[in-house]
Amino acid sequence: MADDQTPRPSGAPDDVPPGAGQGWTALSYLIAGMLVWGFIGWLVDQWLDTGGIATGIGFVLGMAGGVILVIRRLGTPT
Amino acid sequence: MFGQANVLAAGQAAFPPSVEDFYLPSILPWGAHDSYWITKFTAMIWIAVGVLIIFFLATYRKPQLVPTKKQWFAESIYGFVRNNISVDMIGHAGVRFAPYFTTLFCFVLLTNAFAIIPLFQISPNSHIAFPAILAVISYLLFNYIGIRHHGFVKYFKHALIPPAPWYILPLLIPIEAFSTFIIRPFSLAVRLFANMFAGHMLLLVFTLGGFAMLNANAWLAPISVVSWVMTVALTLLEALVIILQAYVFTVLSASYIQGALAEEH
Repeated sequence: MADDQTPRPSGAPDDVPPGAGQGWTALSYLIAGMLVWGFIGWLVDQWLDTGGIATGIGFVLGMAGGVILVIRRLGTPT
Repeated sequence: MFGQANVLAAGQAAFPPSVEDFYLPSILPWGAHDSYWITKFTAMIWIAVGVLIIFFLATYRKPQLVPTKKQWFAESIYGFVRNNISVDMIGHAGVRFAPYFTTLFCFVLLTNAFAIIPLFQISPNSHIAFPAILAVISYLLFNYIGIRHHGFVKYFKHALIPPAPWYILPLLIPIEAFSTFIIRPFSLAVRLFANMFAGHMLLLVFTLGGFAMLNANAWLAPISVVSWVMTVALTLLEALVIILQAYVFTVLSASYIQGALAEEH
């Protein structure tokens, strides 16, 4: 089984995960962005007693961050 | 087994099925309800491991140049994982991970398949513990591979710092850390667990629902037949989910290893 080691055309690994991996990576960035910064915003809320404003700002920032990450990590390199 | 059928026919099974239905009585000591060391799940895991070891040993015991039917079957499974998962996802460097992926794929596939194999009829993967351990193995593996390939500092630098201007890095680094080191293993485990849990629950609802309606009112008998027809249809759907989830688990593990091996620009 393992003795057929003819080179395959795929070559060396590159930075962009192919196929299905790419989709899951993008999804996890978007969700992680909202969760992380939403949570940080919530902590700020608890600390400064801003009544949910900081959580909202956190969510929006996190979404923006997630989108930036998807573009930077998965976008076509120029 | 016939005891179960009698329980069903006498209408003693609790209808809506609950999480309790996933906790099977102990085998050793027999029938104990608060002992979870040796249950049907333990037995199924050992059977799965045994079947896989014996299958691959037996099929590859005397390899022929022109493969026999069994050898061809084992080779096509290995070949599928090697070419369509390892090499496709990781590139030529992926061939050395093919044995791990094949083992992972076969184990997940077989333990998932217990969900619809008669007499087993529940998958060990419908308990979070089993997918969680598999996810932990893949998680440790891809981190270890990355650290060995790049060195500790470079690996974490590569994993945590995306190619972006410095002023948005404080925004991005927490997201990267959370997504790579927490969401990845968590989603890997939960995806498999939730699919198998939901599949078993659906089959329970439609099977037991048929009996519940039959026992409630004789006029509902035709509808309970519809419910059982749905069970058959859902079993076929479950077969699809079983194969798909085994494939997805393996492909995502491969994708994480690929990410850990990737070079910086």
